Amino acid sequence: MTAVEVLAAAMLVAGGGFYLAGTVGLLRFPDALSRLHALTKADNVGLLLVCAGLGLLSGSLREAALLLLIWLLALLAATVSAHLIARRALADGVEVERRDGGTP
Amino acid sequence: MSLAVDLSIAAGLVVLAWRSLAGRDLFRGIVMYIVFGLLLAVTWARLGSPDLAMAEAAIGAGVTGALLMVAYWRLKRISPAEPEDRSPRRSRLAATVALLSTGMVAAIGLAAVQAIGPGGIAGRALFEALPATGLGNPITGVLVVFRNLDTVLEVAVLLAAYLAVRAVLGDRGESLAQPPPQEARLVGALVGVVAPLSVLVALYLLRAGSYLPGGAFQAGATLAACGVLLLLTGRLRAAADAGPWVRGALVVGTAVFGLFGVAMLAFGEPLLAIPGTWAVYLIETAMMVSIAVTLMLLFAGAAGLGGGRR
Amino acid sequence: MSLVLPALLLFLLGNLFAGLWRVHRGPTPADRMLSALLIGSTSVAAVLVLAEWQQLPALRVASLLVVMLAAVISIAFAAIAQASAGSPGPPDPKAGER
Repeated sequence: MTAVEVLAAAMLVAGGGFYLAGTVGLLRFPDALSRLHALTKADNVGLLLVCAGLGLLSGSLREAALLLLIWLLALLAATVSAHLIARRALADGVEVERRDGGTP
Repeated sequence: MSLAVDLSIAAGLVVLAWRSLAGRDLFRGIVMYIVFGLLLAVTWARLGSPDLAMAEAAIGAGVTGALLMVAYWRLKRISPAEPEDRSPRRSRLAATVALLSTGMVAAIGLAAVQAIGPGGIAGRALFEALPATGLGNPITGVLVVFRNLDTVLEVAVLLAAYLAVRAVLGDRGESLAQPPPQEARLVGALVGVVAPLSVLVALYLLRAGSYLPGGAFQAGATLAACGVLLLLTGRLRAAADAGPWVRGALVVGTAVFGLFGVAMLAFGEPLLAIPGTWAVYLIETAMMVSIAVTLMLLFAGAAGLGGGRR
Repeated sequence: MSLVLPALLLFLLGNLFAGLWRVHRGPTPADRMLSALLIGSTSVAAVLVLAEWQQLPALRVASLLVVMLAAVISIAFAAIAQASAGSPGPPDPKAGER
């Protein structure tokens, strides 16, 4: 494997790791808001690493630019979606625990 | 490794289909169905069909998901208890039907797998005839030139579906209840980016469809999803009356395609012969407009579209 | 390298199916929607991997469509603005989610 391929493989594996983190957060965190927090962080970085790795593998600037566009759109979509879902979760009455045990 | 991928995708599709329909929570079923659509797009991608993956992505992600959500909302307004109280009614025929369906699918699958031999003749003839049409994308070739009767009928079927919805809603010009438009700032930012980009991508798909994966359906579905976005955010409104533009847009696809098909008879060509690549572009553009507007109206459940409050 | 891509694809699919558990469990509609969000992002990544593995650049456009339009579902979700009538009240974050 060439150096580029090794680097790309490393990025892909790291990206996969972030997706795993997002999934674990999704399954294990106690309420909607914390799950939302975990998964948006993880999948934004995860997709970035996957896109970067695939961009390296594609060997074409045009394809890499398309991947960059896809990632930027994913950021925008995830931001708006997370905001809207969080508003809904709060309206539904999700209880947000604070460190000191009180509720906001 | 590829086998593992294929098996998991197949198993996932079956499980998702099952979970969409079974179970008491209707909303959960809707989300399962949305995920099913996403996995289906992955399936088409795995099967090497970018055209189908694009169509599934645009319609499944953009139109159908939102349509089901709004339908759920309307259902709850009509009978608040019902969607959550969906106890599965067991039919005595269920097992028989399931067995027969499985048998049929298995039989078809086995027949398809064993169909080697003289099969592929049509494919070879197609690839020989394709350069003469000026197209590079064999799928577009089949859709618009070689087997275009199916495509004409599909566009006509969309029109018929719209008419059926209008018939069900009654002709007093009343629209269905619409969910409140989402006008948060972040949403506005999204619209500002996605709407122009959708138009750009749709036009690219239309143009590229002659020699790359893409085409009228994908372009129309992308525009429809953009239209759904505009409807949900108040940029477009459902209107009780279809103005001349909307009426024109609804029929232009079928009309242009049909006109070409019939006009060619006058020149001694067979029905639905296509005179050249320029005709393909014209027909595809008309189809794109019709598909987009029809899907948007089906989503809104309305007769027409109007400008938004902004 | 020929193994990394299909292995990653299999891994992403596994994540996708794991996310289904949260769709199934909920308990609130918001939970189900945010699972759909993660599943959407995972499928985008999967299609991109397929684009490279099977050398089909057009699949990247399919991914573009998913990512561009997936937010429409979230906006529809926000528009219908109602708690699922099935939940008896505010979900208790400490109650049996394990």
